[in-house]
Amino acid sequence: MLKDIIKKEILETITSPKFVFTFLLCAVLILLSVYTGITTYRSEQKEYNAAVALNKKNLESQQSYQALAGLGPKINKPPHVLSTIASGVSEAVGRVASVNIAYDPNLVDSKYESNPVFSVFGALDLTFIVKIVLSLFAILFTYDAIVGEKERGTLKLTLSNRVPRDRLIMGKVVGGYISLLIPLIIPLILSMLILLVYPNVSLTGQDWGRLLLMFLMFFLYLSVFFTLGLLVSARTNKSSTSFLVLLFIWVVFVTIIPKVSVLAASQLNPIPSVHEITAKKDAFLQQVQGGAQKKVLDWVKENAPNAAKDQKKYQEDFKKFLEDYQNDLTSKIDENNAALERDYQARKTSQERLAINISRISPASALMFSTMSLARTGLDDHEQFLASIRAYKPSFTRWVNSRMMKSINFSTGEQGKVNLADMPLHKFEPESLSKSLARTLPDFGVMIVLIIIFFAGAYASFLKYDVR
Amino acid sequence: MLETINLTKKYEDGHLAVDHLSFKVEPGEIFCMFGANGAGKTTTINLFLNFIPPTEGTALIEGIDVTKEPLRSKDFVSFVSENVMLYGSFSAYQNLDYFTKLAGKRGLTKADYARALKSVGLQEDAFNTRSRNYSKGMRQKLGLAIAIIKDAPNILLDEPTSGLDPKSGQELLNLLVKMRDQGKSVFMSTHDIFRAKLIADRVGFMKKGRLVMLKTRKELEGEDLTELYIQYMEEREG
Repeated sequence: MLKDIIKKEILETITSPKFVFTFLLCAVLILLSVYTGITTYRSEQKEYNAAVALNKKNLESQQSYQALAGLGPKINKPPHVLSTIASGVSEAVGRVASVNIAYDPNLVDSKYESNPVFSVFGALDLTFIVKIVLSLFAILFTYDAIVGEKERGTLKLTLSNRVPRDRLIMGKVVGGYISLLIPLIIPLILSMLILLVYPNVSLTGQDWGRLLLMFLMFFLYLSVFFTLGLLVSARTNKSSTSFLVLLFIWVVFVTIIPKVSVLAASQLNPIPSVHEITAKKDAFLQQVQGGAQKKVLDWVKENAPNAAKDQKKYQEDFKKFLEDYQNDLTSKIDENNAALERDYQARKTSQERLAINISRISPASALMFSTMSLARTGLDDHEQFLASIRAYKPSFTRWVNSRMMKSINFSTGEQGKVNLADMPLHKFEPESLSKSLARTLPDFGVMIVLIIIFFAGAYASFLKYDVR
Repeated sequence: MLETINLTKKYEDGHLAVDHLSFKVEPGEIFCMFGANGAGKTTTINLFLNFIPPTEGTALIEGIDVTKEPLRSKDFVSFVSENVMLYGSFSAYQNLDYFTKLAGKRGLTKADYARALKSVGLQEDAFNTRSRNYSKGMRQKLGLAIAIIKDAPNILLDEPTSGLDPKSGQELLNLLVKMRDQGKSVFMSTHDIFRAKLIADRVGFMKKGRLVMLKTRKELEGEDLTELYIQYMEEREG
């Protein structure tokens, strides 16, 4: 009997006009989003390769270590192949950072900076389609699942037979869910095929693992709205009421909670602005630079008698003093900046975590956070990449200072040629799949808890549902 | 056989929908229950189908207490509602197939379904048409075909002739007579005194949940049922 109910649910749905509309729209949107995702990824990959090559050329063309210290290497963030599915914040945050001795590196030049209009509309990626379009379809498929049958009288007719209610609701859940997944699964399989065969787009084993987890999250997210639809349908007496209630909850989940959570976090845990931090850094720099001049003059005054005795030794000592002092100053500035930055980042992270945790009560937020983490296009990946650049800066600074002092000929004022052979390189080890998974566990937990609550509610409500 | 013993339904708001109702519908009998809207006719059917629990008393289908064994009791009853709305995207065959399987009948062929559909007078060209395109009369016929193919010994009909054109109404009554002749117990709630008079073996009048009159076909001979109905309703009003 369960099989008959499931079969009927599937057949009834797939022969309905709403299914045809849903299927076509899903197929077009999903395939289009994956295709545009791939083309965007490939152009970003080309841009990245070109930028890396140009940066190398620029560094090699520097005439002196002093010029190199001022310019510094540019670190470009490589695009990730899974941004084709979930672009996350990758288009909103910077993609390139300059590492030089003067400033703290920061990622700048985001896509939205160059094309602000895109920030208004956002990206049409698969996550967006699932979050907005398919969740609405889940509602469309379920708002009248029970109350609609009551209105049509088919519920009475069904239950006038030897049909246990628990079996009927189970049949509706399974059949309805399969019907909902068909418009998603078929275009998804086609999209995966495109990813497989598209030239210059290659996914590693870990990427496939990440992709499967993202799909699992999509299914869980749709299950939340599916079970919610059943619950509301089993708690109302009119399908129009059911639809309005569901639409209201959808708006709250998808748009209101995520926005309110950011506002709430900024009120509950305020942090200083970036400008305040920059002002503090500048003040310290000025203070240190002011003292530096005096220190150099003091050294010269103190050692002036030695210059007459042995000019060459005096110059060597002066070079040594300058190198040590420069390193000392740079370390002090770096340490101060790092301390300020650490404090700011810690407070910012704490505020972000608070906002994220508040918004996690919405399945839409949980979907966004988990897919961004899995696609490595989220805030965490951005912060880890930036941290790796900041960790790289001191080693570059030490290296360039040392080379700069060693290459200066104080008697002629000439500087030696730049040799990049032993320049330290920036390295970034992306987060492993297991770490990303651990990060997304709360989101999976939120989804599962909501599904259990909504399903249990729908089940219990239907057992007592007034079918008249 | 259908039977109620002191069947009572009082809602939480205090409304007494059925008040100590006792009657029987014997095999091979058509029992027509009359009453104004809200008199308790549909509630009685809902109690038979265990859609709502009784406050007091018992409803029995083939001697089975519907509250104690609700699922088993449903094996012995078919139900046709006032406005049969089936699955609109399904054809007559598909609707029939689904409800037949729910009724626990397996192994029926398309020919069996066609026979049932023909027996209720549904045009053959409608068998494969989606039921959302059916008229009310066609849907009622399909509903009756579902009841026929279940072949339960008892049939509950809730105002089945409401909104039907005279021809369709008459065809439906002929089918009910046929079912009665097969030995089935037919309980029909209706406002349609004219048609019911033609086929009823017994009639009952319900008012405010109580059975205020019960007469056999013989007792009704020579009586004007319409006048009797009005008279009973007015009397009790006073």
